[in-house]
Amino acid sequence: MFTRHTLPGLVAVAAALATPAASSAADPFAQAVEQANKKLVKVFGAGGFARLNNYGTGIVISKEGHILTVASQLLDTADLVVHLYDGQRLKAQVLVTEPLLDVALIKVKVEGKKIEEPNGLDLDYFDFDAAVKRGPAAPGDWIIGLSNTFEIALRDEPLSVQRGVISAYTKMAGRRGIFEFPYTGDVYIVDAITNNPGAAGGALLNRKGELIGIIGREIKNTLSDTWMNYAIPVGAKTVVKEKVTVKDKDGKDVEEERDRELSMPEFVRLAMKGEYKPIQRKPVIGGQGGYHGIVFVPNVLERTPAYVEDVAPGSPADKAGLRPDDLVSFVDGEPIVSIKAFDDFIKKNTRPGTVVRLEVRRGEALQTVELTLGAHPARPAPATPPAPKKP
Amino acid sequence: MTLPRTSRLWAAVAAAALFAAPAPAQPKPDVNEATEKAMKAASARVAPAVVKIETVGGGELIGGGGKKGPPGAPPQPGVRKGVGPTTGLIVSADGYVVSSAFNFANKPTDIFITIPGHPQRLVAKIVASDQTRMLTLLKVDAKGLPVPEAFPKKDVEIGQWGLSLGRTLDNNVDHPPSMSVGIVSAVNRIWGKAIQTDAKTSPVNYGGPLVGIDGRVYGVIVPASNRSEGETAGVDVYDGGIGFAVPLEDVFAVLPRLKEGKELRRGLLGISPQVPDVYNTVPAIGAIQPDSAAARAGLAIGDKITEINGKKIPNYSTLQHVMGPLYEGDKVTVKVLRGDKEMEFKDIELHGTTTAYVNAFFGVLPMRDDPGPGVAVRFVYPKSPADTAGIKAGDRITKFGPGKAPAPVQNRAALMTLIQRLNPGVEVSVEVKRKEGGKVETVTTKLVPAPDDVPEKLPLPSSAGKALEGQPKPKDPFKKDPFGKCGPEDDCQDEKKEDPKGKDKPKTETGLMTRTNEALGREYWVFVPDNYDPNVSHGLVVWFHPIGEGGKDGEKMMKTFRDFTEESHFIVMGPKSGNKDGWVPSETELVMQDVKAVMGQYTIDKTRVVAHGLGNGGQMAFYVGFHARDVFRGVATLGATLGNPPKDNVANQPLSFFISAGDKDPLLKDIVAGKDLLKEKRFPVVFREMKESGKEYFDLKTFTEFLNWLDSLDRI
Repeated sequence: MFTRHTLPGLVAVAAALATPAASSAADPFAQAVEQANKKLVKVFGAGGFARLNNYGTGIVISKEGHILTVASQLLDTADLVVHLYDGQRLKAQVLVTEPLLDVALIKVKVEGKKIEEPNGLDLDYFDFDAAVKRGPAAPGDWIIGLSNTFEIALRDEPLSVQRGVISAYTKMAGRRGIFEFPYTGDVYIVDAITNNPGAAGGALLNRKGELIGIIGREIKNTLSDTWMNYAIPVGAKTVVKEKVTVKDKDGKDVEEERDRELSMPEFVRLAMKGEYKPIQRKPVIGGQGGYHGIVFVPNVLERTPAYVEDVAPGSPADKAGLRPDDLVSFVDGEPIVSIKAFDDFIKKNTRPGTVVRLEVRRGEALQTVELTLGAHPARPAPATPPAPKKP
Repeated sequence: MTLPRTSRLWAAVAAAALFAAPAPAQPKPDVNEATEKAMKAASARVAPAVVKIETVGGGELIGGGGKKGPPGAPPQPGVRKGVGPTTGLIVSADGYVVSSAFNFANKPTDIFITIPGHPQRLVAKIVASDQTRMLTLLKVDAKGLPVPEAFPKKDVEIGQWGLSLGRTLDNNVDHPPSMSVGIVSAVNRIWGKAIQTDAKTSPVNYGGPLVGIDGRVYGVIVPASNRSEGETAGVDVYDGGIGFAVPLEDVFAVLPRLKEGKELRRGLLGISPQVPDVYNTVPAIGAIQPDSAAARAGLAIGDKITEINGKKIPNYSTLQHVMGPLYEGDKVTVKVLRGDKEMEFKDIELHGTTTAYVNAFFGVLPMRDDPGPGVAVRFVYPKSPADTAGIKAGDRITKFGPGKAPAPVQNRAALMTLIQRLNPGVEVSVEVKRKEGGKVETVTTKLVPAPDDVPEKLPLPSSAGKALEGQPKPKDPFKKDPFGKCGPEDDCQDEKKEDPKGKDKPKTETGLMTRTNEALGREYWVFVPDNYDPNVSHGLVVWFHPIGEGGKDGEKMMKTFRDFTEESHFIVMGPKSGNKDGWVPSETELVMQDVKAVMGQYTIDKTRVVAHGLGNGGQMAFYVGFHARDVFRGVATLGATLGNPPKDNVANQPLSFFISAGDKDPLLKDIVAGKDLLKEKRFPVVFREMKESGKEYFDLKTFTEFLNWLDSLDRI
């Protein structure tokens, strides 16, 4: 594998590229960026205090001024304003937001026209459908970030350009402060410091200046506990839990939890027609999850490893053959760093009937077992102290 | 039709210009595209050897408290360990993986490794670690694994592309690893141990490879810092444009030792330099740690090191660079000059640890400013070796030395140098001339480690008042500070200071004075007691004010110290921080100019120069104390944490500590931890917790103890 013979051409290229001084007057970036700059706007809205900035960036996706940006507090105002690349200052209005995709569609409002009427504008815009059709970028692809980071540009001043590569194309694992970030779908992690105040809603472009993603906010990556530079891909997909009311077999209304796939292309398609309905975010009440019957060792450390102390006789764990001293290391492929992580996983992702795949360390090897979770057994009534006898 | 040659040329140029500007010529190969391709191919070439590491258990936080201190205290960065996987690099086909020690700093209970192309996670064990490069070697049960090719160190050049690869972000190891792109920024960093890059390095790729554009591996990415050591050193600047990788060649070189399960530690000679200037002077040995490699080889204090392993050593800094990459057990050949004689010490085997130097203690306070011969005893510590040997205050020590043949002692300084070379437990013979009757006797006793307590009461006078006797006449000390400016209260006549032994005793300026140094834009105050006499040497307390008090607290400190400065002969000075938000370490050199200006002007007892401060000022006192060890003999702090880990205790630059904190100080726990670190290094430390106190100056009881500590810093 690691022989130079497999890469004869590459070594030659490498020699030519020994230093990165590759820019020249005919740098293909310049033109790509100039074109893209015309299709982006500076957004000004609510905020401006308590470290919430009142400026951001937006991506024009129709000639009439439909603009994509992130679903941030910036939009919580009736006085939303955008600056076009040529310096025009126009009012804008939020059409619809979807926090679970962290996206909003806003539209330029022309004086004297209703928002849904044709407004006669003829702006440069990114063809969103074409962007989706190109398919996702891969790690190592060169990218250009274009945004109004730190509000450096006003009116007709061009946006800031950053260069980098796609670091990873993966699932989002982020948090804002102590809160988990609502969006958990696909994400590009970018090797450039793209995510700073004002950059959210900016465009992530490929080397040729084609749209590939929407630059996100300032959040921390829970995997590494480092600040993250990311963009949500134009073709992003995510799965969310939704509560729906359905008829059971007796014709009675019952609430059921369902997975629903959400996607950025679908959001854009429906939102442009004014037909997008945001997901009803009924609070998913923290259920107990399914019953497994594992008794863990006492949870006394910050991250107590999920060692099995005992299994309840006849429980799913017992049936699956778990034994004391097994270490539950992965559930459905997710690493389980502690007992708490295991409990969280079970509560969040399972219910009676769910089948989970456990990888447990037994001695020096990992064993895979499957558990079909059951219903929680009725708890015995808590013991009450005997009432004091009256004299 | 043919055009003349020149016209044809012009036409061609015009056509070229036409094409070049608006549209990039299509057939021209796009250099960016080629580079992009090469980068992906480089990553793909190494990717099969870049593994994913997952851990179970362990702590959430590594190091520090993770909490914020009071305003002004530097942040105490506890590094939070992310929950995601980390990265490792296969270094041996039979299942050995190297990674960054940072990834295991939270002490996980179990480690699993996933190798690209192998669906099953494997249980991994820690084999050994390289504590000098902060690497950990792991082993899994696997065979036939791909081992990457190392980029030869000699071919690494600044400006070459560097790609940092990691496995944190994408759970699937059959996907390409995450990539960050930069260049090689420097080689031979961190004492010759690391290659530097501006590619982003962070917990996302610590343990992963830094790769060249051809897919060969420069090294293994680790957090690192030239200021501190340990698993988390350098993590605070993650993604900061300054990242490090330990050359893979170096890793391969020590792999056999690591595979044997050997913990690799730094190789130490066990010496410290005589003078603090590490750049401009040939390094002379100032101290040798007991039982160290240098001690065993027979190196001696005063030897000048000229060569190590055939490399010329012009200064101590070079010595540090030559020694930096070496391991315990490595052998060095050292050439020294002893006097005029060149000597060679072959194959000195370096040790991994040195025994902390412990100051030996006899148990007397000498009378100061006594030209000798001999040392008059001012005070005998109860139950000390001197006490048990029957030495009494007023006796004069005339000879002192280990064994049965004591050597003549000229004065206090000579006795101090003598005892610095001895260790506790050594039996010494002492010749004394008794105060009563003038009888000369020789007694023997055994030295003990310097104790941590302070005498309750000390007798006065402390000085014989002959500091300048036998000393060369001081030459216009003002000349040493060409920028010195006379303030309104200053006695500028001092410029013409006469011979102190002349007819008129010189009148030196006393009282509270403000000095400015316009060239440096600095200001400080100095308080000289009214009974100042150049024939009596004075201790010097350098006060580092708390935040916001700069320049304002001279009056207050003068009132606090006035009586003491007169009785025990001290001068107090207060430099002013140039920074509103408190002291910063980089001010040390400027402060030292102020201190040296005062030391040049007055008769200062070099054994009693103390850095003293409260809160942020106390932290600065710790810092300055450790970084100007040629000057300071004591550090006294109130409500201040240690900040950096302490340096070693060395014989020729002793340092004593008086640390206090209020029981309500929120930093109390950290202050106590700092004190314990100092004790571990065997520094003499007095610690006082003040009741019902937050971050305030001493209460009366502690202040009295502090003054006695100050007045006993020259104990022997």
